[in-house]
Amino acid sequence: MQARLTGLNHNEALAYLGYRGGALPPDAAADIARCEALLIKTVRPRAVWRRFALTPDGGFEGVSFRPEGGDVPRLLFGCEAVICFAATLGMEFEALMRRTQARSMAEAVVLDACGSAAIENVCDNLCGDLAAAEAPLCLTDRFSPGYGDFPLTQQHDFCAMLDAQRRVGITLSDSGLMTPQKSVTALLGVRRTPPEKRARGCAYCGRFADCTYRKDGITCG
Amino acid sequence: MDNITILDGAMGTMLQAAGLRPGETPEVWNVTRPGDVIAVQRRYAEAGSGVLYTNTFGANRIKLAKCGHAPAELIEAGVRCARAAAAGTNARVALDVGPIGQLLEPLGTLSFDEAYDIFREMVVAGEAAGADLVVIETMSDLYEVRAAVLAAKEHTRLPVWVTMTFEATGRTFLGVTVPAMALTLDGLGVDAMGFNCSLGPAELMPLVRELADWTDRPLILKPNAGLPDPATGAYTITPDEFADALSEAAALGVTVLGGCCGTTPDFIRALAARAAGLTPAARTGSRKRGVCSSGRVAVFGGVNVIGERINPTGKKRFQQALREHDIAYIVDRAVEQEDAGADILDINVGLPGVDEPRLMAEVVRAVQAVTDLPLQLDSSDPAALEAGLRAVNGRAIVNSVNGRAEVLDAILPLCAKYGAAVVGLCLDERGIPQTAEERVAIAERILAAALSHGIRREDVLIDCLTLTVSAQQEQAAQTLRAVRTVREDMGLHAVLGVSNISFGLPARENVTVGFLTQALYAGLDFPIVNPNQRAIMDAIAACRVLSGEDDGAARYIDRFAGTDAAAPSSNTANTANTGAAADMTLEAAIVRGLKAETAALTAKALDGMPELAVVESLLIPALDAVGGKYERGELFLPQLINAANAASEGFRLVRERIAAKGGGSVSRGKIVLATVHGDVHDIGKNIVRVVLENYGYTVVDLGRDVPADTVVAAAIREGARLVGLSALMTTTVPAMAETIAALRQSGHDCKIMVGGAVLTPEYAAEIGADYYAKDAKQGADIAREVLG
Repeated sequence: MQARLTGLNHNEALAYLGYRGGALPPDAAADIARCEALLIKTVRPRAVWRRFALTPDGGFEGVSFRPEGGDVPRLLFGCEAVICFAATLGMEFEALMRRTQARSMAEAVVLDACGSAAIENVCDNLCGDLAAAEAPLCLTDRFSPGYGDFPLTQQHDFCAMLDAQRRVGITLSDSGLMTPQKSVTALLGVRRTPPEKRARGCAYCGRFADCTYRKDGITCG
Repeated sequence: MDNITILDGAMGTMLQAAGLRPGETPEVWNVTRPGDVIAVQRRYAEAGSGVLYTNTFGANRIKLAKCGHAPAELIEAGVRCARAAAAGTNARVALDVGPIGQLLEPLGTLSFDEAYDIFREMVVAGEAAGADLVVIETMSDLYEVRAAVLAAKEHTRLPVWVTMTFEATGRTFLGVTVPAMALTLDGLGVDAMGFNCSLGPAELMPLVRELADWTDRPLILKPNAGLPDPATGAYTITPDEFADALSEAAALGVTVLGGCCGTTPDFIRALAARAAGLTPAARTGSRKRGVCSSGRVAVFGGVNVIGERINPTGKKRFQQALREHDIAYIVDRAVEQEDAGADILDINVGLPGVDEPRLMAEVVRAVQAVTDLPLQLDSSDPAALEAGLRAVNGRAIVNSVNGRAEVLDAILPLCAKYGAAVVGLCLDERGIPQTAEERVAIAERILAAALSHGIRREDVLIDCLTLTVSAQQEQAAQTLRAVRTVREDMGLHAVLGVSNISFGLPARENVTVGFLTQALYAGLDFPIVNPNQRAIMDAIAACRVLSGEDDGAARYIDRFAGTDAAAPSSNTANTANTGAAADMTLEAAIVRGLKAETAALTAKALDGMPELAVVESLLIPALDAVGGKYERGELFLPQLINAANAASEGFRLVRERIAAKGGGSVSRGKIVLATVHGDVHDIGKNIVRVVLENYGYTVVDLGRDVPADTVVAAAIREGARLVGLSALMTTTVPAMAETIAALRQSGHDCKIMVGGAVLTPEYAAEIGADYYAKDAKQGADIAREVLG
């Protein structure tokens, strides 16, 4: 099982660029297709994951990490294990972004949007592969530090638990910023039956208050 | 050949087994539980380790900040532990130095000088405590390694070993290649180098083979116990398998062997037993040389094009950029030369009245942030050369020395210390000799001096000097003869600044290309040219085919793919473009982001209207039209930026016209921009900068991670009436509030606008900002409201 970038959801990239419906500006679709090809050629996505049995009191077997807040325990209720992962587009994206900004800021804006869509694709592929490997067990939606009441301040411990710096090259600043920027950390529950309730959407989102999409009446998932 | 040296195995794994809790700082055990540390190291000594690493991997002031202990204290205790464990054995004690844990610029915010100082503190403490050598390990950033190696070399007398951590692709997480590591560290004079961690022995073996091609230094291999199981993190191979695999490394000539993650004393015992019967294979000597950035090598052997455009000589605009500290302009010259096919960039920032050493270092850092070409530092000032050599991330060329003894004595030691290649000019205190023989004689003197300073023969590049053919016609042949002798008889590389040949003649390109072609045939392998001149790069592409360097003409074919020599000339194409522009309005050209058309239509408008009328009645309304489309969602940010870029062509023409009449500035006002302290995500701020500049404002961009007092000082110094602050993360918004408070407290009269993903209008008001800008377009609207 390896981290893979297979393509972009073009609508997602358009949304990141500010598309709110209506006619597309000329070139927008071609710009995204070009960046998609460039990203697939240039970046080397990486991922690290660990699977932990859940202890009766909701802890992760063998490690001291314990998620704060109520949302993660609710997500993991009825699960027998949890998979924690960190995925990234790698420093190749950072280098490409710096080089592109020096050449064309317009191009860099498209690339940035496509990079956001690309790391989502990497996460989707990884979660799909994990689901296939766990079958017939089922996986819940993925849930990241910063979602709901799962605090971003736990990012440091989460990454340390995965040894993310050494294994996939994700560095955290004091303020919790991940470098490379296009990186995602998340956990998913492993359970015998399909989850009844999805842990996605605005109610769980850490950006509920300031989301520019929601202000325009658009949701992302 | 030396015998094999056995290192130790994993330290972290063993301390965890002894009770180290996750999140606990392992180095603190050196003072709180020294017995446990000594016990682990004692087991390695008994298993056969000849070198014990101290438990000081993270004993730097950044990682220890919250633990209440100073680096010197834990390092002193750490050396004492290892020394106690080594008692009664012959084991040496190595001061273990790991990564700082924060990214260096340009990816992160830690400066090279700060990194150097952090490592200096560690190695000084290590030597004082009695360590026998310094081991710098698990590194993925070549720049960080350079800081550590320089600190160790400049502040201790200890041997320095370096191991870096690679992926199976042959690169580190930060993109460092094996040849770049080898060339850089070989140049800095490390005593041994190799790999540790990340992969098992089998995966690292191809990298070991590659490394041996690029350096003669002793090689180190300290792999993990195979690859970890993804689900559990457990390592998989047995001690015997590990020892088997490492004996293969000995067959490749590796003399220093040990283990990293997952390797226990059992692994080291198996390894030591196996190594006792092994003699490492003799190395055949490295074959490859080159200069490099951290991710790209210009390999010596073929033709390497050196781009000459970063140089103020005879270039008014470049001189202005240096005086005004316009680094962006200089970086643009780097980018365009890389895109045009340069292999190496020459950097010359010498100009009377500028602080050349400081500027050299700054330009080197700015250029290597956006291109990955190796650099050639061009100066006659030893201080500027040294500042540049420290700043280079890789291995550079120094341009230049000549036959004068005082120049050789001043500059060759720098080349030796930093491992740079060097250009030697065939002139001396008597000037430029008129015959090839006399120039070759100077080359011989330069070579002898270089060798006496420990510089390798293959790192000496001789410049036989191009003289202007219109002034001294017979000299062209002398130069070519000298090039041939330098290459064929002396076996050195030849470098030549080519363009000078045609000075003073009409249709210069014919002469330049003709001379270049002959010089390449004579053996020139480092032409210094303007790569933006297509005919020059075409000629080099052709010569690479004819010499056989371009195997199967693949690069040549690639270069000309899709072009057709029989296609209409560029003149015809231009006419077509102008035709299209004839029935286009200036507004339409700007909306569509067409630069050339915008320039042509602005020029036409300027013929019939006053300059300011063109700005007020054409350019600004066009930008307003673009802004309206953006707000209605008919255009996205990239189109807005392209439109603003096109408009800036119009503003440029207006400025030029006013300047030509001796008028003043047409800047619409000055704005200071910064991404606040602690935040490194600056694309939003960069977009605002581009848009504001293209709307005709002068922007002073302070960059990212900018402390509050720097913002205040710049606002006052520049007299800026508008300051824009950006922050991406909730965690950095407090720094924005502090910056606003500092601006208010300074009494400087200015408006403040803020933006960034997590901000809201309410929050902006709460922290005392005058304006909240939700995007670059609003930023421009605010600028107009404040500055007009």
